Amino acid sequence: MTNATTISEPSSNTQQQKSFEQQQSEMTLKTVLGRRGLERLDLLLLVVESLDLNGGEAMLWTTQQLGLQEQFPNRVELWKRRCHNPLRRATRRGELSAFDAEAMLRLLCSMASRLYPLLHQLLSSREPEELNLQRWALLDQRLRDLIEERMNPRRGAVQRLLQQEQSQPIQRELVFSLALAAGDGGIDRLRASLLDPTP
Amino acid sequence: MLNLSFRYDQTAVRLQVEGLPDFSAGHGDGILGIISGWRLQLVASPELEGKREHLQALMATVLPYARHRISGVKRAFGDTASAVVISPDGDKHQLLLRSSQPNIPPLTLHLDHAELADLVRCLDALRLDPRVQVPWELPIDHPLPRKELAERVPLSQRFGAPFIGGTALALIAGLSLLLPVPRSSEGTLPPANSTTPEQTQSSSNR
Repeated sequence: MTNATTISEPSSNTQQQKSFEQQQSEMTLKTVLGRRGLERLDLLLLVVESLDLNGGEAMLWTTQQLGLQEQFPNRVELWKRRCHNPLRRATRRGELSAFDAEAMLRLLCSMASRLYPLLHQLLSSREPEELNLQRWALLDQRLRDLIEERMNPRRGAVQRLLQQEQSQPIQRELVFSLALAAGDGGIDRLRASLLDPTP
Repeated sequence: MLNLSFRYDQTAVRLQVEGLPDFSAGHGDGILGIISGWRLQLVASPELEGKREHLQALMATVLPYARHRISGVKRAFGDTASAVVISPDGDKHQLLLRSSQPNIPPLTLHLDHAELADLVRCLDALRLDPRVQVPWELPIDHPLPRKELAERVPLSQRFGAPFIGGTALALIAGLSLLLPVPRSSEGTLPPANSTTPEQTQSSSNR
Protein backbone atom coordinates (compact mmCIF):
# COMPACT_ATOMS: atom_id res chain seq x y z
CA MET A 1 0.00 0.00 0.00
CA THR A 2 2.86 2.33 0.78
CA ASN A 3 4.34 1.74 -2.68
CA ALA A 4 1.02 2.49 -4.28
CA THR A 5 0.78 5.79 -2.49
CA THR A 6 4.29 6.92 -3.34
CA ILE A 7 3.68 6.62 -7.08
CA SER A 8 0.31 8.30 -6.93
CA GLU A 9 -0.02 11.76 -8.45
CA PRO A 10 0.10 14.81 -6.24
CA SER A 11 -3.29 15.25 -4.72
CA SER A 12 -5.51 18.24 -5.28
CA ASN A 13 -5.14 18.89 -1.56
CA THR A 14 -1.40 19.46 -1.88
CA GLN A 15 -1.96 21.67 -4.93
CA GLN A 16 -4.48 23.73 -2.99
CA GLN A 17 -2.06 24.06 -0.10
CA LYS A 18 0.63 25.22 -2.51
CA SER A 19 -1.58 27.76 -4.20
CA PHE A 20 -2.61 29.08 -0.78
CA GLU A 21 1.04 29.42 0.22
CA GLN A 22 1.90 31.02 -3.12
CA GLN A 23 -0.85 33.56 -2.74
CA GLN A 24 0.27 34.32 0.78
CA SER A 25 3.89 34.72 -0.32
CA GLU A 26 2.75 37.12 -3.04
CA MET A 27 1.19 39.19 -0.28
CA THR A 28 4.52 39.07 1.56
CA LEU A 29 6.33 40.56 -1.42
CA LYS A 30 3.88 43.45 -1.51
CA THR A 31 4.57 44.50 2.08
CA VAL A 32 5.33 48.12 1.31
CA LEU A 33 3.61 49.79 4.18
CA GLY A 34 1.84 53.08 3.84
CA ARG A 35 1.85 55.87 6.37
CA ARG A 36 -0.91 54.36 8.53
CA GLY A 37 0.73 50.94 8.44
CA LEU A 38 4.07 52.36 9.58
CA GLU A 39 2.41 54.30 12.39
CA ARG A 40 0.55 51.21 13.59
CA LEU A 41 3.56 48.91 13.34
CA ASP A 42 5.72 51.23 15.43
CA LEU A 43 2.88 51.78 17.92
CA LEU A 44 2.48 48.02 18.38
CA LEU A 45 6.23 47.72 18.98
CA LEU A 46 5.88 50.50 21.53
CA VAL A 47 3.14 48.51 23.31
CA VAL A 48 5.50 45.52 23.35
CA GLU A 49 8.14 47.71 24.98
CA SER A 50 5.57 48.88 27.54
CA LEU A 51 4.69 45.29 28.40
CA ASP A 52 8.30 44.16 28.64
CA LEU A 53 10.55 46.38 30.74
CA ASN A 54 13.58 45.00 28.95
CA GLY A 55 11.83 45.25 25.59
CA GLY A 56 14.68 46.83 23.64
CA GLU A 57 17.12 44.08 24.55
CA ALA A 58 14.46 41.42 24.06
CA MET A 59 13.81 42.69 20.54
CA LEU A 60 17.48 42.51 19.65
CA TRP A 61 17.70 39.02 21.10
CA THR A 62 14.60 37.98 19.14
CA THR A 63 16.06 39.31 15.88
CA GLN A 64 19.04 37.01 16.45
CA GLN A 65 16.71 34.10 17.17
CA LEU A 66 14.87 34.80 13.93
CA GLY A 67 18.09 35.06 11.94
CA LEU A 68 17.63 38.76 11.25
CA GLN A 69 20.97 39.88 12.72
CA GLU A 70 22.23 41.01 9.31
CA GLN A 71 19.34 43.41 8.98
CA PHE A 72 19.28 44.47 12.60
CA PRO A 73 22.82 43.99 13.92
CA ASN A 74 22.27 46.50 16.71
CA ARG A 75 19.67 48.71 18.35
CA VAL A 76 20.51 51.67 16.15
CA GLU A 77 19.59 49.84 12.94
CA LEU A 78 16.29 48.78 14.46
CA TRP A 79 15.65 52.32 15.67
CA LYS A 80 16.43 53.70 12.19
CA ARG A 81 13.76 51.44 10.63
CA ARG A 82 11.25 52.43 13.28
CA CYS A 83 11.92 56.12 12.63
CA HIS A 84 10.01 55.79 9.34
CA ASN A 85 6.96 56.34 11.51
CA PRO A 86 5.87 59.92 10.67
CA LEU A 87 4.60 60.43 14.22
CA ARG A 88 8.11 60.21 15.68
CA ARG A 89 10.03 63.23 16.95
CA ALA A 90 12.99 62.25 14.76
CA THR A 91 11.30 60.91 11.66
CA ARG A 92 13.00 59.62 8.49
CA ARG A 93 11.78 60.34 5.01
CA GLY A 94 11.13 57.68 2.41
CA GLU A 95 9.31 54.41 2.69
CA LEU A 96 10.40 51.28 4.48
CA SER A 97 11.49 48.58 2.01
CA ALA A 98 9.33 45.46 1.73
CA PHE A 99 12.22 43.38 3.06
CA ASP A 100 12.61 45.54 6.17
CA ALA A 101 8.87 45.74 6.73
CA GLU A 102 8.58 41.97 6.59
CA ALA A 103 11.47 41.60 9.05
CA MET A 104 9.82 44.02 11.46
CA LEU A 105 6.52 42.17 11.12
CA ARG A 106 8.22 38.89 11.96
CA LEU A 107 9.90 40.52 14.93
CA LEU A 108 6.62 41.98 16.19
CA CYS A 109 4.69 38.71 15.84
CA SER A 110 7.46 36.80 17.56
CA MET A 111 7.43 39.28 20.44
CA ALA A 112 3.63 39.05 20.61
CA SER A 113 3.86 35.25 20.86
CA ARG A 114 6.46 35.57 23.61
CA LEU A 115 4.31 38.03 25.56
CA TYR A 116 1.04 36.19 24.87
CA PRO A 117 0.48 35.11 28.53
CA LEU A 118 0.63 38.79 29.55
CA LEU A 119 -1.71 39.82 26.73
CA HIS A 120 -4.10 37.05 27.76
CA GLN A 121 -4.12 38.26 31.36
CA LEU A 122 -4.89 41.80 30.28
CA LEU A 123 -7.74 40.77 27.97
CA SER A 124 -9.30 38.09 30.13
CA SER A 125 -12.53 38.91 31.96
CA ARG A 126 -11.91 35.98 34.31
CA GLU A 127 -8.93 37.66 35.99
CA PRO A 128 -9.55 39.50 39.30
CA GLU A 129 -10.92 42.90 38.31
CA GLU A 130 -8.80 44.98 40.67
CA LEU A 131 -5.61 43.22 39.65
CA ASN A 132 -6.45 43.72 36.00
CA LEU A 133 -7.11 47.43 36.54
CA GLN A 134 -3.66 47.72 38.11
CA ARG A 135 -2.11 45.93 35.13
CA TRP A 136 -3.85 48.27 32.69
CA ALA A 137 -2.80 51.31 34.76
CA LEU A 138 0.81 50.12 34.66
CA LEU A 139 0.68 49.58 30.91
CA ASP A 140 -0.97 52.98 30.43
CA GLN A 141 1.73 54.73 32.44
CA ARG A 142 4.62 53.04 30.61
CA LEU A 143 3.08 53.57 27.19
CA ARG A 144 2.36 57.22 27.98
CA ASP A 145 5.98 57.75 29.08
CA LEU A 146 7.32 56.14 25.89
CA ILE A 147 4.98 58.15 23.67
CA GLU A 148 5.93 61.42 25.39
CA GLU A 149 9.60 60.53 25.03
CA ARG A 150 9.60 59.47 21.39
CA MET A 151 6.58 60.88 19.57
CA ASN A 152 5.90 64.35 18.25
CA PRO A 153 3.36 65.86 20.68
CA ARG A 154 2.16 68.39 18.10
CA ARG A 155 0.56 65.62 16.05
CA GLY A 156 -3.17 65.08 16.59
CA ALA A 157 -2.79 61.30 16.61
CA VAL A 158 -0.17 61.54 19.38
CA GLN A 159 -2.36 63.92 21.39
CA ARG A 160 -5.23 61.42 21.11
CA LEU A 161 -2.94 58.71 22.49
CA LEU A 162 -2.09 60.91 25.45
CA GLN A 163 -5.65 61.93 26.32
CA GLN A 164 -7.02 59.71 29.08
CA GLU A 165 -10.54 59.25 27.67
CA GLN A 166 -9.45 58.53 24.12
CA SER A 167 -6.33 56.51 24.89
CA GLN A 168 -8.00 53.68 26.83
CA PRO A 169 -10.05 52.15 23.98
CA ILE A 170 -7.06 52.61 21.63
CA GLN A 171 -4.77 50.77 24.06
CA ARG A 172 -7.31 47.97 24.41
CA GLU A 173 -7.53 47.59 20.64
CA LEU A 174 -3.74 47.56 20.35
CA VAL A 175 -3.38 44.83 22.97
CA PHE A 176 -6.16 42.81 21.29
CA SER A 177 -4.43 43.25 17.92
CA LEU A 178 -1.19 41.94 19.43
CA ALA A 179 -3.03 38.91 20.81
CA LEU A 180 -4.50 38.18 17.37
CA ALA A 181 -1.08 38.66 15.78
CA ALA A 182 0.51 36.03 18.03
CA GLY A 183 0.83 32.46 16.92
CA ASP A 184 1.25 30.68 13.63
CA GLY A 185 -1.25 32.54 11.46
CA GLY A 186 -0.92 35.90 13.20
CA ILE A 187 1.66 37.34 10.84
CA ASP A 188 -0.58 36.95 7.76
CA ARG A 189 -3.47 38.57 9.59
CA LEU A 190 -1.38 41.47 10.86
CA ARG A 191 0.32 42.03 7.50
CA ALA A 192 -3.03 42.24 5.75
CA SER A 193 -4.32 44.69 8.33
CA LEU A 194 -1.25 46.93 8.04
CA LEU A 195 -1.78 47.02 4.27
CA ASP A 196 -5.37 48.25 4.65
CA PRO A 197 -6.07 51.43 2.67
CA THR A 198 -6.78 54.65 4.53
CA PRO A 199 -10.57 54.95 4.96
CA MET B 1 -6.19 0.97 11.16
CA LEU B 2 -3.94 3.87 12.19
CA ASN B 3 -6.00 6.39 14.11
CA LEU B 4 -4.37 9.76 14.64
CA SER B 5 -5.19 12.36 17.24
CA PHE B 6 -3.71 15.84 17.52
CA ARG B 7 -4.34 18.29 20.31
CA TYR B 8 -3.92 22.09 20.32
CA ASP B 9 -3.90 23.78 23.71
CA GLN B 10 -4.19 27.33 24.85
CA THR B 11 -5.06 28.74 28.27
CA ALA B 12 -8.84 28.73 27.79
CA VAL B 13 -9.27 26.49 24.74
CA ARG B 14 -8.40 22.92 23.87
CA LEU B 15 -9.03 21.56 20.39
CA GLN B 16 -8.61 17.88 19.65
CA VAL B 17 -8.83 16.46 16.15
CA GLU B 18 -9.03 12.79 15.28
CA GLY B 19 -8.77 11.08 11.95
CA LEU B 20 -6.88 8.89 9.56
CA PRO B 21 -4.21 9.27 6.91
CA ASP B 22 -5.63 9.52 3.40
CA PHE B 23 -3.46 6.92 1.66
CA SER B 24 -5.28 7.49 -1.63
CA ALA B 25 -3.96 11.04 -1.57
CA GLY B 26 -0.39 9.91 -0.98
CA HIS B 27 -0.21 10.72 2.72
CA GLY B 28 2.29 8.97 4.95
CA ASP B 29 1.57 7.27 8.26
CA GLY B 30 1.73 10.32 10.49
CA ILE B 31 -0.32 12.59 8.25
CA LEU B 32 -3.95 13.22 9.03
CA GLY B 33 -5.97 13.52 5.82
CA ILE B 34 -9.46 12.47 6.85
CA ILE B 35 -11.03 14.03 9.94
CA SER B 36 -13.41 11.66 11.68
CA GLY B 37 -14.20 13.88 14.63
CA TRP B 38 -13.14 16.83 16.74
CA ARG B 39 -13.75 18.18 20.23
CA LEU B 40 -13.50 21.73 21.42
CA GLN B 41 -13.30 22.60 25.10
CA LEU B 42 -13.77 26.18 26.16
CA VAL B 43 -13.42 27.21 29.79
CA ALA B 44 -16.81 27.36 31.55
CA SER B 45 -18.65 26.18 28.44
CA PRO B 46 -20.03 22.82 27.38
CA GLU B 47 -17.76 20.65 25.26
CA LEU B 48 -18.42 20.90 21.53
CA GLU B 49 -17.92 18.13 19.07
CA GLY B 50 -18.77 17.47 15.48
CA LYS B 51 -17.69 16.34 12.07
CA ARG B 52 -15.32 17.86 9.57
CA GLU B 53 -18.04 20.09 8.04
CA HIS B 54 -18.72 21.71 11.40
CA LEU B 55 -15.04 22.38 11.99
CA GLN B 56 -14.75 23.84 8.51
CA ALA B 57 -17.75 26.10 9.23
CA LEU B 58 -16.19 27.18 12.54
CA MET B 59 -12.90 28.07 10.85
CA ALA B 60 -14.57 29.81 7.92
CA THR B 61 -16.47 32.04 10.36
CA VAL B 62 -14.06 32.70 13.21
CA LEU B 63 -10.88 33.35 11.20
CA PRO B 64 -12.36 36.06 8.89
CA TYR B 65 -13.97 37.61 11.97
CA ALA B 66 -10.54 37.80 13.62
CA ARG B 67 -9.07 39.23 10.42
CA HIS B 68 -11.66 42.02 10.48
CA ARG B 69 -11.26 42.63 14.21
CA ILE B 70 -7.52 43.17 13.89
CA SER B 71 -8.36 45.99 11.46
CA GLY B 72 -10.88 47.38 13.93
CA VAL B 73 -13.94 46.37 11.91
CA LYS B 74 -16.75 44.97 14.05
CA ARG B 75 -19.19 42.98 11.95
CA ALA B 76 -21.00 39.67 12.20
CA PHE B 77 -20.07 36.61 10.15
CA GLY B 78 -22.56 33.92 9.21
CA ASP B 79 -26.29 34.22 8.57
CA THR B 80 -29.50 32.52 9.65
CA ALA B 81 -28.69 29.47 7.54
CA SER B 82 -25.08 29.10 8.76
CA ALA B 83 -24.03 26.46 11.25
CA VAL B 84 -21.80 29.01 12.99
CA VAL B 85 -22.44 32.71 13.50
CA ILE B 86 -20.09 35.08 15.30
CA SER B 87 -20.93 38.66 16.07
CA PRO B 88 -19.62 41.43 18.31
CA ASP B 89 -21.47 41.75 21.61
CA GLY B 90 -20.24 44.80 23.49
CA ASP B 91 -16.82 43.95 24.89
CA LYS B 92 -17.36 40.28 24.07
CA HIS B 93 -18.03 38.08 21.07
CA GLN B 94 -21.14 35.99 20.65
CA LEU B 95 -20.62 32.60 19.06
CA LEU B 96 -23.82 30.88 17.97
CA LEU B 97 -23.65 27.21 16.99
CA ARG B 98 -26.52 25.42 15.29
CA SER B 99 -26.68 21.66 15.48
CA SER B 100 -27.31 19.67 12.32
CA GLN B 101 -29.50 17.31 14.33
CA PRO B 102 -33.21 18.18 14.58
CA ASN B 103 -34.89 19.47 17.75
CA ILE B 104 -31.64 20.72 19.27
CA PRO B 105 -31.72 24.43 20.05
CA PRO B 106 -28.73 26.55 19.00
CA LEU B 107 -25.98 27.02 21.55
CA THR B 108 -24.81 30.54 22.32
CA LEU B 109 -21.40 31.20 23.83
CA HIS B 110 -20.01 34.54 24.94
CA LEU B 111 -16.26 34.79 24.51
CA ASP B 112 -14.08 37.58 25.85
CA HIS B 113 -11.11 38.91 23.87
CA ALA B 114 -8.70 36.45 25.52
CA GLU B 115 -10.89 33.43 24.75
CA LEU B 116 -11.37 34.51 21.17
CA ALA B 117 -7.61 34.96 20.76
CA ASP B 118 -7.09 31.46 22.22
CA LEU B 119 -9.64 29.97 19.84
CA VAL B 120 -8.06 31.72 16.87
CA ARG B 121 -4.60 30.46 17.87
CA CYS B 122 -5.87 26.89 18.13
CA LEU B 123 -7.58 27.09 14.72
CA ASP B 124 -4.46 28.67 13.21
CA ALA B 125 -2.29 25.94 14.68
CA LEU B 126 -4.56 23.29 13.18
CA ARG B 127 -4.79 24.78 9.70
CA LEU B 128 -1.03 25.40 9.50
CA ASP B 129 -0.01 22.09 11.04
CA PRO B 130 2.04 20.20 8.41
CA ARG B 131 0.80 16.92 9.92
CA VAL B 132 -2.78 17.81 8.97
CA GLN B 133 -3.24 17.76 5.19
CA VAL B 134 -6.90 18.69 4.92
CA PRO B 135 -8.02 21.07 2.16
CA TRP B 136 -9.51 23.89 4.23
CA GLU B 137 -11.40 26.22 1.95
CA LEU B 138 -10.56 29.43 3.72
CA PRO B 139 -10.19 32.95 2.36
CA ILE B 140 -6.68 34.43 2.09
CA ASP B 141 -5.89 37.31 4.44
CA HIS B 142 -6.14 40.33 2.14
CA PRO B 143 -6.27 44.04 2.95
CA LEU B 144 -9.88 45.05 3.48
CA PRO B 145 -11.69 47.19 0.90
CA ARG B 146 -11.98 50.88 1.69
CA LYS B 147 -15.76 50.61 2.04
CA GLU B 148 -15.54 48.14 4.91
CA LEU B 149 -12.96 50.27 6.70
CA ALA B 150 -15.08 53.39 6.31
CA GLU B 151 -17.84 51.73 8.30
CA ARG B 152 -15.68 51.56 11.42
CA VAL B 153 -15.44 55.38 11.43
CA PRO B 154 -18.48 56.82 13.24
CA LEU B 155 -21.01 58.65 11.06
CA SER B 156 -20.49 61.90 12.97
CA GLN B 157 -16.76 61.72 12.27
CA ARG B 158 -17.21 60.64 8.65
CA PHE B 159 -19.72 63.27 7.64
CA GLY B 160 -18.93 65.95 10.26
CA ALA B 161 -16.40 67.93 8.23
CA PRO B 162 -18.36 67.89 4.91
CA PHE B 163 -21.53 68.85 6.78
CA ILE B 164 -19.88 71.80 8.55
CA GLY B 165 -18.28 72.90 5.25
CA GLY B 166 -21.58 72.71 3.35
CA THR B 167 -23.46 74.55 6.09
CA ALA B 168 -20.83 77.30 6.21
CA LEU B 169 -21.01 77.70 2.43
CA ALA B 170 -24.82 77.90 2.46
CA LEU B 171 -24.73 80.43 5.32
CA ILE B 172 -22.23 82.68 3.55
CA ALA B 173 -24.21 82.45 0.31
CA GLY B 174 -27.41 83.35 2.18
CA LEU B 175 -25.79 86.33 3.94
CA SER B 176 -24.31 87.61 0.70
CA LEU B 177 -27.81 87.67 -0.78
CA LEU B 178 -28.93 89.95 2.03
CA LEU B 179 -26.26 92.57 1.27
CA PRO B 180 -27.61 95.64 -0.64
CA VAL B 181 -26.75 95.62 -4.33
CA PRO B 182 -24.90 98.82 -5.46
CA ARG B 183 -27.33 100.99 -7.47
CA SER B 184 -26.60 101.85 -11.08
CA SER B 185 -25.37 105.45 -11.95
CA GLU B 186 -28.67 106.37 -13.68
CA GLY B 187 -31.16 107.86 -11.30
CA THR B 188 -28.63 108.55 -8.59
CA LEU B 189 -26.99 111.83 -7.73
CA PRO B 190 -23.20 112.03 -7.95
CA PRO B 191 -21.44 112.59 -4.68
CA ALA B 192 -21.23 116.23 -3.59
CA ASN B 193 -17.45 116.63 -3.74
CA SER B 194 -16.81 114.68 -6.91
CA THR B 195 -15.60 116.63 -9.93
CA THR B 196 -15.21 115.56 -13.52
CA PRO B 197 -11.86 116.11 -15.30
CA GLU B 198 -13.49 118.73 -17.58
CA GLN B 199 -14.72 120.75 -14.62
CA THR B 200 -11.28 120.67 -13.09
CA GLN B 201 -9.67 121.85 -16.31
CA SER B 202 -12.10 124.79 -16.75
CA SER B 203 -11.60 125.92 -13.17
CA SER B 204 -7.83 126.01 -13.67
CA ASN B 205 -8.20 128.14 -16.88
CA ARG B 206 -10.02 130.80 -14.91
